[in-house]
Amino acid sequence: MAKTLVIQPVTRIEGHAKVTIQLNDAGNVDTARVNVIELRGFEKFCLGRPVEDLPRITPRICGVCPWSHHLASAKACDAVFGVEPPPSGKKLRELCNSIAYMEEHILHFYFLAGADFLLGPDADYSIRNVIGVLQAAPDIARKVVKVRHMCAHMLEVLAGKAIHPQAAVPGGFSKPLAPAERDQLRKNADDALELAKFSIAFAKENVFPKYFEVVKSLGVITTGFIGTVKENGALNLYDGKLRLMTSKGAYQDFPYDRYTEFISEHIESWSYLKFPYAKQWGEGFSMDVENPKGVYRANTLARINVCDFIDTPLAQAELEEFRAKFGRPAQLTLLYHWARLIELLYNAENTIRLLDDPEITSTETRVKVTPRAARGVGCTEAPRGTLIHDYTTDANGLITNVNLIVGTTHNNAPINMSVTQAAKGLIHDGKYDQGVLNTVEMSIRAYDPCFSCATHRLDGKLSVKLDIFDADGKLLGTLAN
Amino acid sequence: MREIDQFDESDLPDFCRKPTVVLGVGNTLFGDDGFGCAVVDYVEAHYRVPETVCLLDAGTGVRKLLFTLCLSTARPQRLLILDAIDAGRSPGEIFEIDPAEIPPVKLDDFSMHQLPTSNLLRELQETCGVEVRVLACQTGPLPEEISQGLSQAVSGAVSQAAEWLVSEYFPSTTVPRGDLCQTTC
Repeated sequence: MAKTLVIQPVTRIEGHAKVTIQLNDAGNVDTARVNVIELRGFEKFCLGRPVEDLPRITPRICGVCPWSHHLASAKACDAVFGVEPPPSGKKLRELCNSIAYMEEHILHFYFLAGADFLLGPDADYSIRNVIGVLQAAPDIARKVVKVRHMCAHMLEVLAGKAIHPQAAVPGGFSKPLAPAERDQLRKNADDALELAKFSIAFAKENVFPKYFEVVKSLGVITTGFIGTVKENGALNLYDGKLRLMTSKGAYQDFPYDRYTEFISEHIESWSYLKFPYAKQWGEGFSMDVENPKGVYRANTLARINVCDFIDTPLAQAELEEFRAKFGRPAQLTLLYHWARLIELLYNAENTIRLLDDPEITSTETRVKVTPRAARGVGCTEAPRGTLIHDYTTDANGLITNVNLIVGTTHNNAPINMSVTQAAKGLIHDGKYDQGVLNTVEMSIRAYDPCFSCATHRLDGKLSVKLDIFDADGKLLGTLAN
Repeated sequence: MREIDQFDESDLPDFCRKPTVVLGVGNTLFGDDGFGCAVVDYVEAHYRVPETVCLLDAGTGVRKLLFTLCLSTARPQRLLILDAIDAGRSPGEIFEIDPAEIPPVKLDDFSMHQLPTSNLLRELQETCGVEVRVLACQTGPLPEEISQGLSQAVSGAVSQAAEWLVSEYFPSTTVPRGDLCQTTC
């Protein structure tokens, strides 16, 4: 009898989603879909508000990556007001971005995805979490905790507060960095670099080899990629131009305020979340795993693929080793984790570079702004992918139109494809167990998705459960974590 | 790996170092879900909070704070979570939840948005020795679209929750700002 497996929500990703796996009469996977619920109204909510309010409001959308929204929003405001922040203002923003990245990437690798690798996907659910990681590797956990503390503390020093940041303002950054504060942060940055170096060395020696067969097979799809690079093609996470790369490695660069010329959004009746695709390729849109059309990926692996090089020495060396092993563009989905660690190293080096820049303590951190009727686009690379804020204002600087594309939305189609691929490889003849289902979830977690952000929804009432339906929609049974 | 320098605990954030931590939790963009944040705002505006208490609008970032607390070498003795919840009661009703009584189905979910992130609360209480209490307010219907502001019923419960918080956590050291103002202005 045909069945539908429902995993709801996916655990240890940021937010909630429901995975529905439809089995055919033979008990093999027919389709797999990741369903999310969209909360509407953000655009309407913004209408008529002063545009300068948005850098303070948008971090409230979601507490997972508030800095990314804060900075993308501030950049969109810069564009609306037609100003360019002074160099120190830009560098302080980028510094905060790099520190926030380190906090996020450490959290994800060690405690969200790390449980899969350190404890194994078949480990008992009750220990396959952060506490399980602590118990399994206490020495590592202690170092990780220290550096996460440092990152949070560094953001407090820079911005006054780590939660719901308000320091980036239209025209720059509101709080100059005092030399004494810089010296304090510099010591913390050295420790963060040590952890970053340790993390990638540890993973290459103890994690990736152990699970290489899984890495080679789980959730593997072939797509294009999107990410931000500097004018010279170097990786950058705060500013630059967008690069859209085909699955074969050809690419085209474009200014991010022209994103609508290159990206369009497909709608599926079973998902509230849209499916961005590369309309510039002229092939339409299809999530057929064997023959996808228009599908590209964002987030760590995408950025590592699209950049020509990384302009910090340790991360560049890692990139060269990575490309020697996996080519460019690398397609294996679980390599997102490897790419995440290269980015962790880059951000640690970049933090030191910025702190060593004499300009970082300049007191000229912002310029004045004057309301005007204009459209402005701000774009940063959030840890979970390219983040676009697009605002239009009237002559008084009041919002008349808003559009956001968040990182996870870019990955909507690839996540669905990876789940389908993973499910087809792991569920046969109607046989499945908790380990298999968590392995399917692993393919989603590689993307580090944040569905609450993507859908602007916060819902604390869902729990993890598996529903089994037959072809007629009859509930055959329910399993819960 | 070079041994990371000894971390000075004075560099830890307040929510790790202070003996009492009160976190207002929720999303102010979602109607009554912003109850916890509103209580924090109210207490800050109407009372003088003692130095031993960290009162924080954690908003939607509560999971990161609890995560850090769980793993920290320094933790508060007492933790209070102010949260909005739908428990089928009358909108605006305030009640206390024992983290140990949260249904097991929610305990092991590690979503960053699972409020009040019950598994971390359980760890803090049972493994880390922190006294954890959750003061909840029954919400009205949450909006389908983003909407700021509390309903009348929940708004009315804010001052009530603030009074409870003050009486339970800093009764002897705190006086309402209004009273201070009358005697000193």
